[in-house]
Amino acid sequence: MIIKMQISSLKVRKKGIVILLTLIFSSFLFSCTEKKDGTILKIGIAEEPRTLNIWLASDANSRKVLSLMYQNLYVRDPVSLQLIPWLAESMPLFEPETVSYIVKLRPAKWSDGSDLTSDDVLFTINLIKKFKIPRLYSKWKFVKKVEALDSQTIRFYLQKPVAIFVTKSLSVPIVSRSEWADVAKKSLTHEKPLTALLNHKIKFPLGCGPFVLKQRREGAYLYFEKNRFFFGENKKIAGHILGPFVEKIIFKIYSSADVAILALKKGSLDYHWSDIPPGHINGLKESKHIQVFVSKKSALYFMGFNVRHSPFSDAALRKAVSILIDKEFIISRILQGYASDMTSIVPKGNKFWHNPQLPAYGHGLTKQQRIKKAYAILTENGYTWKSPPINEQGETTMPSLIRLPNGEPMQDFTILTPPADYDPHRAASGTIIQEWLKDLGLPAHSRPMSFGALLSQVKQRREFDTFILGYGKLSLDPDYLRSFFHSKNNKKRGWNMSGYHNPDFDVAADASVAAVNIGERQKLIRRMQEMVMTDVPYIPLYNPMRIEAINMNNVSGWIKMVGGIGNLWSICMVKPKQI
Amino acid sequence: MAPENSQNAYQMEGLSRNWALFIRNPIGKTGVILLIIFGLMAVGSFLPPQIDTMYHPMTGVDPLIANSSPPSWKHWLGTDYMGRDLFSQLLTGARIAFIVGITSAFISIVFGTIIGMLAGYGGKILDSVLMRLADMIMVMPTLLVVLLLSSLLGQLNIWAIVLLIALFRWPGVARVIRSQTLSLKERPFIDLAKIAGASHFRIIFRHIAPNVLPMALLFMTFRVTSAIIIEAVLAFLGFGDPSTVSWGMMLQWVWKTGHMFQAPYWLIPPGVCISLITLSFYMIGRAMEEILDPRLRKEGKVD
Amino acid sequence: MNLRRLIIRRSTEIFFIFFVILTILFLLFRLAPGDPVSRMVDPSMTTEEAEHLINQLGLDRPLWSQYLFYVKNFFTGTLGNSFHYGEPVAQIIGQRLPNTILLFTTSIIISCIIGIYFGKIAAWNKGKKLDVWMTIGALVLHTLFLPWAALIIIWIFGYKLGWFPLNGMLTPEIWINPETGIFARFLDVLHHMFLPLFTLCIIHFGSYLLIMRSGMLETLQEDYILTAKAKGLSAIEIRNRHAAPNASLPVVTSVGLSLAFSVNGGALTEIVFSWPGLGRELIFAVSNNDYPLALGSFLFISIVVLVANLIIDILYAYLDPRIKY
Repeated sequence: MIIKMQISSLKVRKKGIVILLTLIFSSFLFSCTEKKDGTILKIGIAEEPRTLNIWLASDANSRKVLSLMYQNLYVRDPVSLQLIPWLAESMPLFEPETVSYIVKLRPAKWSDGSDLTSDDVLFTINLIKKFKIPRLYSKWKFVKKVEALDSQTIRFYLQKPVAIFVTKSLSVPIVSRSEWADVAKKSLTHEKPLTALLNHKIKFPLGCGPFVLKQRREGAYLYFEKNRFFFGENKKIAGHILGPFVEKIIFKIYSSADVAILALKKGSLDYHWSDIPPGHINGLKESKHIQVFVSKKSALYFMGFNVRHSPFSDAALRKAVSILIDKEFIISRILQGYASDMTSIVPKGNKFWHNPQLPAYGHGLTKQQRIKKAYAILTENGYTWKSPPINEQGETTMPSLIRLPNGEPMQDFTILTPPADYDPHRAASGTIIQEWLKDLGLPAHSRPMSFGALLSQVKQRREFDTFILGYGKLSLDPDYLRSFFHSKNNKKRGWNMSGYHNPDFDVAADASVAAVNIGERQKLIRRMQEMVMTDVPYIPLYNPMRIEAINMNNVSGWIKMVGGIGNLWSICMVKPKQI
Repeated sequence: MAPENSQNAYQMEGLSRNWALFIRNPIGKTGVILLIIFGLMAVGSFLPPQIDTMYHPMTGVDPLIANSSPPSWKHWLGTDYMGRDLFSQLLTGARIAFIVGITSAFISIVFGTIIGMLAGYGGKILDSVLMRLADMIMVMPTLLVVLLLSSLLGQLNIWAIVLLIALFRWPGVARVIRSQTLSLKERPFIDLAKIAGASHFRIIFRHIAPNVLPMALLFMTFRVTSAIIIEAVLAFLGFGDPSTVSWGMMLQWVWKTGHMFQAPYWLIPPGVCISLITLSFYMIGRAMEEILDPRLRKEGKVD
Repeated sequence: MNLRRLIIRRSTEIFFIFFVILTILFLLFRLAPGDPVSRMVDPSMTTEEAEHLINQLGLDRPLWSQYLFYVKNFFTGTLGNSFHYGEPVAQIIGQRLPNTILLFTTSIIISCIIGIYFGKIAAWNKGKKLDVWMTIGALVLHTLFLPWAALIIIWIFGYKLGWFPLNGMLTPEIWINPETGIFARFLDVLHHMFLPLFTLCIIHFGSYLLIMRSGMLETLQEDYILTAKAKGLSAIEIRNRHAAPNASLPVVTSVGLSLAFSVNGGALTEIVFSWPGLGRELIFAVSNNDYPLALGSFLFISIVVLVANLIIDILYAYLDPRIKY
C-alpha cells in the first residue's frame, strides 16, 4: 500500500518542485517592488521586548518600547541633564514644615481620549506600594501619604526629608486607573498578588506618550501610530517644539549586529537602537548616507573584590592589583578606544557629583614601572616570593608564587566574568588581567560564567574572590554609591557585593540621603568616593561610549544626549526629510 | 589456551589485510591524508608562541594592530578584533579539536562497550535496565541537553564538556556491542572458557572484549566527529570553555563582534577546518565500515 | 493482537522515561546556581524587594512542593509561567511552534525527496564516476558545520548577491499594511524561509542520499528484483517501480530515528537566521535562567521525539512482520 503511494508521489513530486521554484522566484520579484513610505520611522532593536506589562519590564528593550507610551512626571533635559517638568507643569514645591511636596499636573489625555488626573497618579503610587513592585517600591516606601488637592494637584507627605525623592521617586511612569484597576483588584485576591499582577498580559498599553501601539507580531515587529491626544504636541518644552512629526514607527527585531548594520545601509532601518560594535565604525563611515554617533554613557564597569576574607581583605593587595591593571590597554585594545577612563565609581561625565581629586592608580606607567610599584607596596606589607618579580639587577622576571604576610602561599583565585557572548569586553578584560597578575606571582584564573550563575555566586552565595561586572545604565543621581558600599547592604541579595564595611562611609551615606541641600549632598558624595577609592573594594575599569548609527535618507533631527540618541526627545523631534 | 592464541593470530592477520584494503579505498585514503594534515597543524600549534609572544593565540596581541586586519606577511590569516593572530588560533584549534574529539570518543566508547557487553552477557533484568537507559539517552537531543547542563552548571571547562559529551554518546555503541555480544555468547569458545572455570569478569574482558574491539574502534571514529561538532556548537553559542581557543570559539568571536560581513578571512578558515576534520573522521569510519561489515551501516548513520 | 501489545508496552515505557526526564530536569534546574531574580542587575532593586519577588514567584517553597506544583502544572497543560515573559509557557510554545513546524517539516520533506532521488541514481550507477562524486558530495555536505554553513549562506545569498532577506520571518512593512493580501503575505514568508530551508536541506540531504544509496544497493540484490529482470522489465521501470519504493523505507525511518539530531540542527538554524521558533526560544530561555520556559520547551521537544520514535517502531512492526519485539 505504502509502495503504491510512493509511486504516485513520484509523479506529483516533479510538478511540486516546479511550482515551488516559481513561487520562490515570484516572491523574490515581489519584495523588490516594496513601496517607499517616508513617514514611517524604522527603528531596530536587538531583542524581542520581553513584555508590555510595565511592572514586569526589567529589560532594556521592553523599556525602550514602553517609553513611547508610559510617561513620567519629570524627565531629564537633553543638554543640561537637569530634571524638567514633563507630565507635571512645574517643579515640585517643597514645604519644610510638613515635609511635603506639591506637584501640579499639565492638562493631558490618555491615548483613549480620557483625561489624565491626579487620581491616576494616586492610583499608580498606591499600586506600587500595595504590591511592593520591585525597583519602585523602595523609592516610595518613605512616602507616608499621598493626597489629591484637586484634579490637577497632588501632595506627597514624606516621613523625613529624602534627597532622592525628586530625582528618583518622582520619575516613575504613571499608569491610568482605567487600565489597571480591575487587574489590581483581581490580582489581590490571588495567593501571590505580585506574581498575578506581573503575569497579567497587556496587549495594547494605554499610555499618554507620543505613540500608541497598533500591532505586534512576536518575534518580528511592533507597529506604532502617532497618539492624537499627546499632550506635548506643538508645545515648547526644554526649548524644543515637540512633534511627533512622523506618523508611524516600526520597531524591527535584529538580533545580530551585522544584519542590523546592513539593514541600516540599505535603508530598511533608520536607526538601530542598540550598541554597534566598534569594528563596524570604519565601514559605516564610508557610506555617505550613514551618520555615526558616539555618545557618552553613564556606566560603570569594574573589578570587585570579596573583602570579607583573605587574601583580598587586605587593602594593600587590592591597591597592588589596581596598579597592575593597565586601564589604558583595556580601553585602547579591548574597547578599541571607545570608552573613557574611570578613576572613581561616579563617572567623570557626571561632573557635579564626580570627585576629580582621587588617586589614579598606575595611570600612565609602563609595564615595568607598574610591576615595580606594586612590588614595592606588597613587600612593604609583608608579602614575599621565593624568587621575586624584581631580580637583583632591578629587572622584572617571572616570579614564583606569592606568599601572604603569614608565610602561606596564596591559594589560586578566580576572576569571574560574564561569558564572551554576553559581553566580549568583560570576558577579554578578565583574561588579560589574569596575565598581568601573573607577572607578580598572583595565581589568578579568569573564569567566565553564565550571567545568572555569576550573579548568584556574587550576590547570593557570596563565595568568590574577584569578579568583573558592569552597570550599563547608571542613574545620574549617585545614590547607587550608598547601595554598593553601605554595610547594611552586605547581606544575601544585597548590592554590597564586595562586603565592604566602613563605619565612616555608612555615616556619610546615611547623611547623604537626608541632605536636601544639594551643596551639602555634593560634599558628602565626593567624600564617599574618596573613601571608596582609598580602600578600593571596586576598581573602576572603564566607561564605554555608546556607538550608534542612523540612515539619514528618511528622517533627521535626532537629539544627542548621555546614553545616545535613542531617547524620548528624539522620538518627539525627528522629522521626515522633504523630498 | 590454544584457542585463544590462534584467535589472536587470526586477528592480527585480519588487521593487516584490512589495513591494506582500507588504504586502497579512495575514501579512506582521503580521510587519512586530511587527518595527517590536521595532526601536523595540531603539532605545529606549539611553534608560533615560541617565535614571538604576540603569536600566543589567547593573550598575544600585535603591538601595532588593535583591530581586525586582513592577511599579511606578519599574520598569514590576519588578526582578530584585538590584534591576535588568526593563524596561530587556527593551529591551536586543531589541537583542541583532537583533544576533545579523541578523549570524548574514547570515554564514550569505553562506556558503551562495557555497558553493551554487560547487557549482552548479563541478559534479563540487567539487559533491559541498561537498554532502557540507553533508549532514554538516545532520544534526547544531545546538543540541547549539553547546552542546558552547561548553562545550569555555570561555565564548564573543556574537560567537563568532554565528559558530558561522552556521557550522552554511549548508547549507540552499547546497542551494537550488545548485539555482537549476544551472538558471541552462543559461540563454542565461550562455553569452553566457562567449562575451564573462567570467571564472568574474565570471560567478558578476555574473550568477548577482543572480538568486539574492531566494532568499537569503528564507532570511535563516528563519535570523534560528533564530539568535535558538539564542542564547536557549544563554543559557537557562547557556552564553551572561554579559556581555550577552539574553532567554535573563533566563529563565535567573528559572529558576536560583528565582523561576519567584513572579515571573510576570519569567518571562513575555522568553519572549513571543523567541516574537514569531521569529514576526515567520517570518511575513515565509512571506509572501515565497508571493510568490517557493510550491513552495519545503518547503525552508524544515526548520528 | 501482537501489535496492540507492542503499542501498549512501548507507550507505558515512554511515559515512564518521560517522567524520569521530567524529574531529573526539574532537580537540575532548581539546584543550579542562578535564579531569575539575581539576574536583575538594576541597583535600585533592594534586598527587601528581591526577597518579596522570590516569595511571590514561589521560589522559596520547599523543593518537593515546587515539584508537585510543577507536575500539576504540567498535567493541567499550562507548564507554569515564564519568568521573563510572564505568560504561560504553553502559550509561548504555542506561538513559536507553528514557525518551527513550518521550517522543520518542509526541510525534512524536501531533503528526503531530493535525497531519495539522487540516492537512487547513485546506487544505480554504482562504481561509476557519477556515484563516486555523488557519494563524496553527500559526505561533504553531511559533515558541513551547520552554523558556519548558515553564516556562509547568509553571506553569499543575503549579503553579496542580495537575493534573500538576511534573517527574520517577514517584512514588517508588508504586514502592517492592511491591504496586503494573504497571498502576498505567504510569498513574503516564503521569501524569508528560503535561506534557512536551503541550509537545513543541504545538511540533511547528504545523509538521506547515503542511506538511500545503501538501501537501494541491498534491495537490488533481492530475489524479486532478479525475477523482475528475468521477466524482461526495463531497467528504469525496475529502478523506479520496484527497487526505489522499498529502498526508501529506511530513509523514512531514519528521519524518525535521527529526529533528535535534526532538532539540534533546527535550533541552530533558527538562532543564526533569527527565525522565531521553539529551538531559538529554548536556547534564549536557557541563557536567561527562565526555568519554566526552558524546562517546558525541552520537555515538549522530548515528547515529540519520544512519540515519533514510538510511531516509527509501530510502523516498522506493521510493515515488516519479520521484526519481533
